[in-house]
Amino acid sequence: MASGFALTLGVTRALNLAHGEMIVAGGYLGYWLWAGSGLGPLWLMPVAAAALLPLGWGVHALLRRLPEPRELTSLTAGFGVALLLQDAMRALWGGDYRLIADSALTASLRLGPVTLNRGRLAAASAAVAVVALLWVGLTRTRWGRAARATALDEEAAALLGINTDLAGRTTLLLSAALAGASGVLFATLHYVHPAAGGPLVTVSIVLALWAGIGRMRSLLAAGVALGLVETLGVAWSGPGWRETLVAAVLLLTLLARGGSLARGMTAGGRAG
Amino acid sequence: MNASPAGLVAMAALLVLLPAAGLPPYYLHLSASAFLLATLASAWSLLAWGGQISFGQAAFFGVGAYAAALAAMHGVASWAALALGATAGAAAGALVSAAALRLSGAPLALATLAFAEIARGIAINWERLTGGGAGIIGIPALPGPTSQPRTVTYYLALFLLAATLSIFGWMARSRLGLALAAVREDAERASLLGVNPAAWKLCAFALSGAVTGAAGGLYAYMVRVVAPDLVFSSWYSLAPLIMATLGGPRTALGPAAAAVGLYLASELVLQPLVPALHQVGYALALIAAILFLPGGLGGLAGRRRNAAP
Amino acid sequence: MPLLEGRSLCMDYGRVRALGGVDVEIEEGQVIGLLGPNGSGKTTLLNVLGGRIIPTAGEVRFDGALVTGKPPWVFGRLGIGRTFQIPRPFAGMTALDSALVGVTFSRRRKLSRAADRRREAERLLAIVGLADKAGARASELSLGELKRLELAVALSTRPRILLLDELASGLSPQARAEVLGFYARLRDRGVAIVAVEHSVGTLARVSDRLILLSGGVIAAEGPPSTVLASPRVAQTYLGDGDE
Repeated sequence: MASGFALTLGVTRALNLAHGEMIVAGGYLGYWLWAGSGLGPLWLMPVAAAALLPLGWGVHALLRRLPEPRELTSLTAGFGVALLLQDAMRALWGGDYRLIADSALTASLRLGPVTLNRGRLAAASAAVAVVALLWVGLTRTRWGRAARATALDEEAAALLGINTDLAGRTTLLLSAALAGASGVLFATLHYVHPAAGGPLVTVSIVLALWAGIGRMRSLLAAGVALGLVETLGVAWSGPGWRETLVAAVLLLTLLARGGSLARGMTAGGRAG
Repeated sequence: MNASPAGLVAMAALLVLLPAAGLPPYYLHLSASAFLLATLASAWSLLAWGGQISFGQAAFFGVGAYAAALAAMHGVASWAALALGATAGAAAGALVSAAALRLSGAPLALATLAFAEIARGIAINWERLTGGGAGIIGIPALPGPTSQPRTVTYYLALFLLAATLSIFGWMARSRLGLALAAVREDAERASLLGVNPAAWKLCAFALSGAVTGAAGGLYAYMVRVVAPDLVFSSWYSLAPLIMATLGGPRTALGPAAAAVGLYLASELVLQPLVPALHQVGYALALIAAILFLPGGLGGLAGRRRNAAP
Repeated sequence: MPLLEGRSLCMDYGRVRALGGVDVEIEEGQVIGLLGPNGSGKTTLLNVLGGRIIPTAGEVRFDGALVTGKPPWVFGRLGIGRTFQIPRPFAGMTALDSALVGVTFSRRRKLSRAADRRREAERLLAIVGLADKAGARASELSLGELKRLELAVALSTRPRILLLDELASGLSPQARAEVLGFYARLRDRGVAIVAVEHSVGTLARVSDRLILLSGGVIAAEGPPSTVLASPRVAQTYLGDGDE
């Protein structure tokens, strides 16, 4: 879930606050597709991903026109887009809670002494697979190198002949696709409703901050770490505190960082 | 936005006379809500003047609302309850500022957002104090002619707005304003000139929190109910942002006018037409403002320094 | 007792040593000229003495009292003023307001009425010849005017000592002559100065003592005639000397 957000942050220095809503949108799409077609959610992931591409394009078009400091203006714009998407979803699909409750997923799997829920296992594997794919893409492909260069220093990359605008657009498209795909996964595990996006983007922000720009593998580790924190916290204080806990973690992370958004980035400007 | 004094006086007179002219209670309530929103926008501008962009005003609004509500439920007089709301808001503002001292720009905005979320979470979960997700209901009405409760709240909201605008005007010309402006432009240089940035930033947050908290308290009396998703809604963080972006930086009058205008337009025009999407207008306005308004938020947040060695 | 002194000042940026053990004393009313090629540590020394950065090692004392590590506004309120090599005006504020900041917050003047403070700020602008630009913003000022504003802002804290970073550089000969005039007038008022200038000649003309920095340490020190006659200057100073 967070990989798309982290990508956007790294390459375009934009904080896509609407990322959460994009995930939810993916979830909704997934749900309706699943309800309508009965196909397994895994197959639906690419469909949802593709469906969200236009959204990614739109967000990128918006981002290009934002004045500096980009981190701040994108945050504000993202806030607006998030609201927009929330309302759109509410209008389109109503405020009901939806869940992709595929029977194949709710079965349990026995692995020695441990009983795992098949659905969660499938989601986790899919997530790992996607992130791995992303990592391969970033390190091996031409696009990946361009993206990483842009993330490090946008001006220098442009001077080197890299089309930073194209890199940015591709990143946003990819980020949207990731949001869509992860949305489907999310919908198999949790209820989706229009207002669910907030906590999701908070999680994404925390993970992006913890893992650093463009470090996909750290992202996975960070995800696990956050999950642990969440679970422990909830176990200690009660389930209602989950979202608050994540917010608190975000706050503590920000304070600990003391003003720089990620390793190598400052509140005002460029990486490095 | 600079308005001529004559124009302001005329507007003020109009607003004061409106209830007497026989405006129906529904519209009085609508106007009062618009005034509250305008107050929030002005309070936000107080922070923006110092280069501090807040995404978490809802925290102060909600804290103020709950403080006033709890006081009212325990029989405290309404003026005291409202004062308590303002005080609670100020305290919350000071807390946020003290914690986020080293932050600025986007991290500060995110931190305020996180604070608001945490405040909401506390309201939901600390049931003994706040009544949990259901909140507090049955808050007594404000004293006054019981036949015209809406009129009372209308005037109070108008008064609060006028007070807030005055506070902003005073601030801009005061030592506080000078310090904040200097900190906004170049905090390092300001500190070399004898300004302690942290202290003044905290003042700004406390002031903004107080005003927002007062608005929250008034809101509690207006709707007689407070609930976490109601008063800690991110809407109260987003709305002032939108209004200020539209209304222009460095003033309170612009955002306030934008708030009233946009809110009334949205409620009176959009709501009946496209009920499901009426909030979309705000989002579109925000995006349009960012894209097309020169200076925009970059101007609000001050300049980035190139390190002169 | 010296007004401002630094003892064994060291400043490291990672593995780069910008200052490697510098001792400097400035007496009340004295003018010290700081020479040295680019990268020799002149600006770093100014930064440390002015409280802008905290040295990795060493002490800074003002009037005998230890001030190392204190926040910048303490330095400002004690009466240490500073100009920057590249002018850094308060971009969104008028020239008058820029001058007003130090007047209001340095606490070195007992001006409790806003009108008095305003008048003082106007006076400062008049001293640097910007009286007619009081309402102008930074974007409307020329480089020469910005440099004057720098001086006005530095003076706004009613400093007992001024740290001037290349006040005269980048200016026309005529403007430069004016700056020399400023140096003289400041000196007449008893303000101590530590000046960095690119032009050795300018420094020699205004200073009581010269300090030559090279690679973060003091290479030579003394009255201008002595220092300039020293072979060290030719050795280490690679800059232009327009005399």
